[in-house]
Amino acid sequence: MDKVYVRQVCFLLAAVLPVARLIVYPATLAYRAGNDLLLPAAASLVCEGAAVLLAAWISRRSGRTLFELVQLRLGKGAAKVLSFLLALFFALAAVLPLLEQRGFVLQILYENVPSFLSFTPLFAVLLFAAAQGLRSLGRMADLAMPVFAVCFTALLLLGLPGADFAALLPVGGHGAGTLARAALHSLPWYTAAPGVLCLCGHFRCEKGDMKKVLLAYAVGGAATLLFLALFYAVFADIALLQQNAVAHLSKYATALTPLGRVDLLFVIALTLVMVVAAALPVRLCALCLQETFGGPPALHAGIVCALLLGLTVLLNPAFREAQALLTEKLWPVFALFGYALPLLCALFLWDKKGRGLPAPPRGAGAGRQLARAKQRPARVRLGKGGR
Amino acid sequence: MNDFENAKRGRGGCHADPNSSEQGANAPSSKQNNFGADLAENVRALKELLPAEDILVYEFAAGDGTACAAVYADGITDKQLLGELAARPLAEGDAPETLEACRKRMLFPEVKEAEDVAGAAEEILAGNPALLIDGMRGALVLGTKKVSLRAVAEPQTAIAIKGPREGFIEDVKTNMGLIRRRLKTPALRFVTLTVGRYSKTSVALAYLSGVASEARVKEIEARLAAADIDGVPDSSYIARILARRPHSLFKQAGTTEKPDILCAKMLEGRIAVLADGSPIALTLPYMLAEDFQSAQDYFVSPYRATVSRVLRLLAVLASLLLPALYVAAQLFRLRLIPFGLLLIVSGGIRAIPLSPGLEMFFLLAVLEVLVEASVRMPKYVALALSVIGALVLGDTAVKAGLVSSPAIIIVAIAGISAYTVPDLTGTLSLVRILFVVAAGSIGPYGVVLLAALLLWYLVSADSYGVPLLAPFAPLVSHDLRDALIKADLSSLAERPRTLRGKNRRRLRLCAGGSLPPRQGEQGEGSPRRPAEEEGAPTPQKTAGRKEAGGEKGGAGAGEPSSPQTDKKNEEARDG
Repeated sequence: MDKVYVRQVCFLLAAVLPVARLIVYPATLAYRAGNDLLLPAAASLVCEGAAVLLAAWISRRSGRTLFELVQLRLGKGAAKVLSFLLALFFALAAVLPLLEQRGFVLQILYENVPSFLSFTPLFAVLLFAAAQGLRSLGRMADLAMPVFAVCFTALLLLGLPGADFAALLPVGGHGAGTLARAALHSLPWYTAAPGVLCLCGHFRCEKGDMKKVLLAYAVGGAATLLFLALFYAVFADIALLQQNAVAHLSKYATALTPLGRVDLLFVIALTLVMVVAAALPVRLCALCLQETFGGPPALHAGIVCALLLGLTVLLNPAFREAQALLTEKLWPVFALFGYALPLLCALFLWDKKGRGLPAPPRGAGAGRQLARAKQRPARVRLGKGGR
Repeated sequence: MNDFENAKRGRGGCHADPNSSEQGANAPSSKQNNFGADLAENVRALKELLPAEDILVYEFAAGDGTACAAVYADGITDKQLLGELAARPLAEGDAPETLEACRKRMLFPEVKEAEDVAGAAEEILAGNPALLIDGMRGALVLGTKKVSLRAVAEPQTAIAIKGPREGFIEDVKTNMGLIRRRLKTPALRFVTLTVGRYSKTSVALAYLSGVASEARVKEIEARLAAADIDGVPDSSYIARILARRPHSLFKQAGTTEKPDILCAKMLEGRIAVLADGSPIALTLPYMLAEDFQSAQDYFVSPYRATVSRVLRLLAVLASLLLPALYVAAQLFRLRLIPFGLLLIVSGGIRAIPLSPGLEMFFLLAVLEVLVEASVRMPKYVALALSVIGALVLGDTAVKAGLVSSPAIIIVAIAGISAYTVPDLTGTLSLVRILFVVAAGSIGPYGVVLLAALLLWYLVSADSYGVPLLAPFAPLVSHDLRDALIKADLSSLAERPRTLRGKNRRRLRLCAGGSLPPRQGEQGEGSPRRPAEEEGAPTPQKTAGRKEAGGEKGGAGAGEPSSPQTDKKNEEARDG
């Protein structure tokens, strides 16, 4: 089994996932919630934190992968259907970050916007990354953490002199409905819970690890909130125009210094973490496809990358429309997979008589134990609504 | 297949030839492969197997007139020693009747009985003559190999300002001795193998039993045993044989020319591989972080060592990325360059006919050519090369408008920086060119993507179960004390967890930092705890390998593995 460590899952939550929220999300939130942008963001973070915690709890209690659990409770067919649906979800979830990254890269890393071809080598990297095991993904998280910590801190510090936090006041000027809509429409940026759910069984979550996961998520959430606050404090009313927020935050502090735009070096380093963040849903999508259809991971990685490349090419001239579609129309899909799925999994898999989830396979005979359990479904207790 | 190979395969009488019965009982047969009692026939059998002109026969007579002969390879046998210590004792008395009696007559210890004709032939080729006596069945192999050695000197590639100055030489036995001199413990084991169809190169694995992983030793041994190669001119061939990813751009075995470094690595739990004819020893498993460590780091203050290591890392990053970022900034993102510098650069490149990418590529190519030429050319023309390199390329090229001064400075910095980590220089120069190509074609994003690809490749690679990028990816916080940061010796009480050794503790200090009293401590020569006795490996005798070493394993201050330590080990090795 591919092994990822709890530490690496924590790093993914604390460093890799927040990076995806540093490009278009702040401007979008500023557009929808104005100076109250912290409220919907905090609400989304709290909800997602709960879902992540639930997913980690399932992992801790069962010690099995999500698909093994569903297979035990609901049968092989249901497991395959769920894994295929999750694969589709991850493919969908990967579209917005890729489109965002395309815009970010072409506008920030180049003087004149180059052809789209400059962005396409990313898919070769994604293909290689998705063809590797989950272990490599975990190790990349180990590398991404210090890069993120250094670069993000440096960018925040460089942006701090230009900040006026009074721009965030008064709090609560927008109505609850507006803020709720802003929170719901930002769901495509909150896909951590299905990711952790997919990693269940691939990492050993033991006593005390739940706290680590929660703490890591809190760190990531705090980083997001801090960035949003600073972003609005720097740009105030023109924040909604700053699409590539992370690259603009510190430009006033560095542009006229003898060192020049030294912050761009941190931005370039942060782009490296963005590549890891883009690879995460692609890798998980390939994993789900592998669970559904079997076969070599490279084949699935190729299919996913080809699909995403096609979608990115197709949506290249229509970023705003794609963003509107994903955030305003398809948010229920993200709500279903992001929040409802972990809850449903916990409910469906929970034993009526309070004996909890199936016991985790332990020791050398874990494989045999699992195989026996699969062969004798009648002896496995069904959960609420189980068939 | 030649006679020699036939004879080898026929050893042990497995392929007894029925025709051999027609020959006299005293006559040996190359096919039957056993020595008879007839001296002339025995010598003939050996010469049949070894028809080369440098295989000579030294005929002499014992005191009672019995004919004797020594078959030896000219040039690699010490003839004086042969005469003084073997022929003279025989000539001074009657011929011995048995091999045992003959062995006792010899005046030196390295005498053994030849198994058969092919075995004797092998020994002759290794420089050990075969002694034959008329009327006596069998032959004695005399260890009078002549080894012309260079002196043990400081290696040119690892000059030490502080610390030991000895270096390995080309003789594997001497190298083994250099290790033995530093590790006077029965736990030091050597496994000697022969690799190479024609070269028959002696390859020795050295490890500390109880510290290094036995399974890993066996794995390496199996890989070497399975290798069918015609010759092993250098240990780098062995590195290729042992590599899991032979086509990788990155090296997969650590190398050193210094016994002190090798012993330090063995004490951490690594396995050393020495090849006869090569002064470079390999160490396995290998981690990339090793190349950023220098022997001197352990002899100076830890603060100084830490600064040196950080500098090395920055230098490597500069060597890799500086030319690429310069090209990317010029081509795609001028704002990466500070305004003042931009003015200078723009002034410098105004009249340059080449694009920034081509200019950098051209300069890097020139740098590589200069490096190649300076390594290969005789020393007396090196000065001329320096003048040509500095004046013609450095000055005239700028004046002629072929290249810009900033580009030359960038390439010079990149070239010099690479030599802060000498073991990575070759790899760095190749990867640097890849980065320049990526920067020239895609720009800064190309640099980012190539970096991501390389990192992903590196994190997915491992060397005999140890991740190449450990202890950074996977993060092993315990081992970070001796990675980029060099902690004080007192903080390095345990061996690296990444290497998965059972015996973890290597140092015990009292609270005040002084060495603890020996009594009651688990050191060599002190009583062992039962758990350690259980954990101590027993001597192994495996077919096809020769082991040297003590009877009992167990190294120094051993620590029995507990469930907690096992768990930590497991975490450290990332699955």
